[in-house]
Order: sequence, then structure tokens, then C-alpha cells
Amino acid sequence: MPPANQPEASVRQEPGGAVLDLRGEINGFAQEALEAAYTEAEAQDPEAILLNFEGVDYINSTGIALIVGLLARARTSKRRLLAYGLSDHYIEIFNITRLSDFMSVYPDEQSALSDASAS
Amino acid sequence: MTAPTPSGKAKQDDARRALVDLSVPSEPGNERLAMERVAEAVKELDLPAQRLERLKTAVAEATMNAMEHGNRYRPEVPVKIQVLASDADLLVRITDQGGSPVPDPDKEVPDLEAKLEGLQSPRGWGLLLIKNMVDEMHITSDAVHHTIEMVMHLEGKDDAAGQPT
Repeated sequence: MPPANQPEASVRQEPGGAVLDLRGEINGFAQEALEAAYTEAEAQDPEAILLNFEGVDYINSTGIALIVGLLARARTSKRRLLAYGLSDHYIEIFNITRLSDFMSVYPDEQSALSDASAS
Repeated sequence: MTAPTPSGKAKQDDARRALVDLSVPSEPGNERLAMERVAEAVKELDLPAQRLERLKTAVAEATMNAMEHGNRYRPEVPVKIQVLASDADLLVRITDQGGSPVPDPDKEVPDLEAKLEGLQSPRGWGLLLIKNMVDEMHITSDAVHHTIEMVMHLEGKDDAAGQPT
């Protein structure tokens, strides 16, 4: 069954870093969109890349694995990976998986960009 | 002649009523269908929002495991899902037709640092998530089937229960 809510990812550059606006479901179907958007974001060599989850309604364990892959890429290139816009439920999942130990999680874009700019 | 004595599991099931019995074809993405159907079936229990979200994640992950590892994504082999409830608890039983050994969730703990170093596959989060989303998780198997049972206690639980620190 194809995803009910097709995953999409787009990139915009902000003063504090590159923002990946994610929409739909972050699952196995999101791999291509997520990796392509991350590659596009990296092209400008930003110090930080921010994952915007405000438009995301579902993340499964395969999606978690994709985020782990992005985090590994960020660490290799000594770039910060930040996240914002997660629901309380997915913040809990980021805590359980320890993703939140390796990437800072913020409630909104303003606080994420503010921290990214200050670092 | 005495009637056969029901097994412990059968006795427990007698105390529970079935909310839904369903099956989904083993195709990528169908875990969402399972999750939504179970959420619909438990509406009458009026679970607190956070407990419902946890249940949905647990059902989705268990269904994905069943479709992928048990049924090898063969669409013609369904994953069976049974939802039962009593006053005390809610039980979701998910069964596949897997023949491979059942992983031990206590031995196969995903390690994020190892994954980031490339020492472990980035995948393998499903059982950890399920275990943290429900109050009890039991995995059983016979020659043909794997079954995961997930229990949520309904008494004395609210949104604050089980919060990670």
C-alpha cells in the first residue's frame, strides 16, 4: 500500500543553517526524498542542518533509521543536526532511541535557529 | 467424564471481550492500516491521548515486524490482529507465519552509538519501541507462527504514567 500521506522534503537556507522542511510520513518510502534533500542542504556547507518535523504526522522505526543515517552523515562532516516541531509522542520516541542525546530538539524554528546561530 | 480444563491463556481470554479481529496483507505501508483499524476499535475505551499514541506506535511496529520478518512481505500471507479488552486491560495479539527464530528483545538492544559508528545496522528499533510503548510484551512461537502480545493496563493509568525521565 503506498503511503496515504506521501513523504516530501524541501530545503531552504536561513542565517543559522539549512532547514529541511519535512512533510507527510517518515518511513521507508521517505528515503529518497530525505537523502536528496539532505544532500542539497549540505551543498551550501552550512554549520547546522535543521530538520523541521512540523508537517510530519507519522514516523516509524524505518524512519528513525533514516534519521540515524542523516545523523551519521552530519557527524562525519562535523555538522550539527537539530530537530524541531516534533509532537510530544515523537519527542518521547527520540528520548527512547537516544536520538535526543545526539541532536538537540527544539519546540520551534525560532529557538532552533537562534541556538544554531549562537553556536 | 470431565470437560477439558481451559489453558491459562484461554481463561484470561474468557474474561476479555473481542473488540476486533482483522487481517492485513503483508505489503509495505500496511502497518498504518492496522494502526488505524486498532485505534478505531479501541475508541470506546476512551484511552488518554498519549496512551493511544503509544498503542498506535506499538501496533504499527509489531505489524511491520510481522509483515517483514515473519511473512517476508508476501502479500498473500496475512498478518492477523486480535484486539481484546477487559475492565483491567487491553490486549493486542499480532500473529505472522514466520519460521525464523524469535529475537530476544533483551539481548538485541539497539545501540545508537554503534549505529552511528557503522558497527550496527541503523535499523532494528521496532522491539525497543514496542517494549517502551506498552505495559507488557510477550513473544511466543510454534512451528508455524510467531505471536506478539501487547498489554496495556487500563486501571490507574493516565497520561503521566510511564513518562520517561
